[in-house]
Amino acid sequence: MRTQMRLMALLLTLGLLLTACGPAAQPAAPTAAPAKPAESKPADSTAAKPAAPAAQPAATTAPAKPAEAAKPAADAKPAADAKPVAVSNPPTTPEMVDSIDLMGKNVEVVYWHNRPQKDQELLQQMLDEFSKTNPYGIKARPEIAGASYPDVYNKVSAAIQAGQPPEVSVAYQNQAAFYRAQGAIVDLNPFLKSKKYGLSEEDQKDYFQTFLDSDINPQFQGERLGFPTQRSIEVMYYNADWLKQLGYNEVPKDWKTWEEAACKASDPAANKYGWAFRHDASNFASQVFSRGGRILSPDASAYVFNSEAGVETVAMIQRMFKNKCAVEIPTSERNGEQNRFAAGQILFTFASSSGLPFYQEAIGKGANFKWDIDPLPNGGKPAVNLYGASVSVYKTTPEKELAAWLMIKYLGEKAQTTKWAVNTGYLPVRESARADVVAAYKSDPKWGAAADSYARMFAWFQYAMVESPVAGYDPVRDLIDKEIATKAATDPNADPKKLVDDGVAKANNILKENAPKR
Amino acid sequence: MIGAAAQETTTARRPGQSARLSVGGVLMQIAIVLAALMAVAPFAFMVTTSFKTYASVINNVIWPWFPLGSEVPQLGNFWEAITTVGWDSQWGIYLFFRYLANSLIVAGCIVAGSLITSTLAAYALARMDLPGKQVLFVLVLVTMMMPEDLTIVPKLVMMFNLRWYNTYLGLIVPSLVSVFSIFLLRQFFMQIPRDLFEAALIDGMGHLRFLISVVVPLSKPALLTVGLLNFIWAWDAFKWPLLVTRDSSMRVLGVGLQQFMQGQGTQVHLLMAFAAMVIVPVLVLYFLAQKQFREGILNTGLKG
Repeated sequence: MRTQMRLMALLLTLGLLLTACGPAAQPAAPTAAPAKPAESKPADSTAAKPAAPAAQPAATTAPAKPAEAAKPAADAKPAADAKPVAVSNPPTTPEMVDSIDLMGKNVEVVYWHNRPQKDQELLQQMLDEFSKTNPYGIKARPEIAGASYPDVYNKVSAAIQAGQPPEVSVAYQNQAAFYRAQGAIVDLNPFLKSKKYGLSEEDQKDYFQTFLDSDINPQFQGERLGFPTQRSIEVMYYNADWLKQLGYNEVPKDWKTWEEAACKASDPAANKYGWAFRHDASNFASQVFSRGGRILSPDASAYVFNSEAGVETVAMIQRMFKNKCAVEIPTSERNGEQNRFAAGQILFTFASSSGLPFYQEAIGKGANFKWDIDPLPNGGKPAVNLYGASVSVYKTTPEKELAAWLMIKYLGEKAQTTKWAVNTGYLPVRESARADVVAAYKSDPKWGAAADSYARMFAWFQYAMVESPVAGYDPVRDLIDKEIATKAATDPNADPKKLVDDGVAKANNILKENAPKR
Repeated sequence: MIGAAAQETTTARRPGQSARLSVGGVLMQIAIVLAALMAVAPFAFMVTTSFKTYASVINNVIWPWFPLGSEVPQLGNFWEAITTVGWDSQWGIYLFFRYLANSLIVAGCIVAGSLITSTLAAYALARMDLPGKQVLFVLVLVTMMMPEDLTIVPKLVMMFNLRWYNTYLGLIVPSLVSVFSIFLLRQFFMQIPRDLFEAALIDGMGHLRFLISVVVPLSKPALLTVGLLNFIWAWDAFKWPLLVTRDSSMRVLGVGLQQFMQGQGTQVHLLMAFAAMVIVPVLVLYFLAQKQFREGILNTGLKG
């Protein structure tokens, strides 16, 4: 009897212990805000002093036959006059990177991303090719780490805490800043500027400069916390046929005409509206940019969206709803603005250019009208919101960090960025890929006139703006949506200036809380 | 439960009263019907959308088939949904079937494991005289109040540290104990008369024997309810299996749904076709066990 009592007590204890790691009864919504970052311990505070890339770096892939792939390319060998230097982790100078020897190390690189299976297969195909052809024996493989950026963020955060981060993952600039604050990712400047493994001047010039610059982080003295392998921009989709019926021969270029056209198109009784309001801080940011404003100051010291541009944006949202010219798309209606636009119920939507193939398909199967894209209306000076997460390299070992960099460099090469852009609808990162990608779009009949629209986007990169590359921007995004944009849509009497002032005050507190500790 | 409430209302009526419904009664009936419709609406949306063309989805056509429309039910959506998810080169089958196998393994282990742990813990909390039992029970309940997102990162850290990342252990073990199941079974076990245990004690039975020979047979409806609920939770799980696995060969059906929700566009008709296929086992289980399930809910104090 006593033995059984003990047995039961032991089982109960075990049950309770296991309870600690048991799930809650119901699944919950994704995590919204990242936690306060841990104290920053910048390993590279010794300040990288990169030398200008004088010599032509080696190609990532050996041009030799596959049978020779395992052998290093001749130009991959260190220059005779290059003296090896001690390498810290992470390497802080191009010379240190030059001194890393990858030969015979057979390093493995795992790349966490959030693309669907179809893109995973494409990535796998590209990285298999990289694994086969790189002269260092690097084996790279992609892994789906989540269905969304917050999923990848959660997984990466856990992996960092467990000391088992991947070698590479997708990360938006603000997420990269958060990881950097924990000392978990490395500055890619020394790798990019390495004579042996970096990008040549010619290659660097081939990259769209705004794309390259978007990963330089102002909170960490210009460290490069990520590298672009894809990009997209916020554009305005419009129903050209409908606009013509309303008497507009060209798409409105300024906000006044745009608002007028949107209100002219609206007929709530027929469920038709000029504009679809999405719950997305990036939508708000794009409008602020197009009015000449910014979300964050250039030195990242304060949020500044309470400028005139911010006030005007809020006031316009209020007017649009007051005059019944806009309809709110609930968060539960995933891609609802796209479906309603495709059904001919919405005149204008603001969305990512990476949605082009989806818009094309939806409109083709929906109301099948003539449509196009344009930058958001502006006050004479266009501005476009730059999207598309970069890839960041985690602090592991210098060899793995270098192998990760070489993989990223490979994905950014002309052939790969072209293939990726053609298959996913994203924009290539190099100028030299532009012609091939545009030609591929134009030769595919399913694109129709949208191929021309895609081609025109390249002229808009020069106006690219980045929202906020600082740690803690996720809760600020939430704040912008809930406490500014949504309030503007639901309360026509709220004071626009007060809304943005209050929002900026709260955002600056978040900025302060998440600022890297020095 | 709604059906049961309606049944109770009907059976409580006396002969001759059926023709004289009060205003309150009518309002109640209307409210019940509305609630039933609201409960069924998402399911109906899923099933109807899974048979539509993408064009009908985009154009918000509610009923594109005979007699209101000329469209043919798109049975091909189901196969397209299966093929869209991808191919498993390891087993040489569509990933859908690999996901299905994994879902069956994971859900089966979770149901069995949670039934064992919940029964033991609930019995101890209901019937055994343990020091600090009430405190323990409160602690158990407190863990139920914690949102899953709060524990997901620490759990993931544990999985990495235990080297259970991308393994069945990582998928199964954290779900082997369900606090809600412990609570539910405890409520049921509390109703079993203490006299029975005292009689069993005279017959020479200990706690374990009493639990296996008396409590478990008497608690079939509650155990079935716990099993079914745990099956539904395990079957529907999405975020945890996605985060704790790496390879598509380790993933489950819930994760397969994400293939249709790309960032900038959703193939709603395929998503719904996939979802409809995913819930078939849950529906079958529910229909097979609905009588006991209802009994279990009614007898554990969970009925509102």
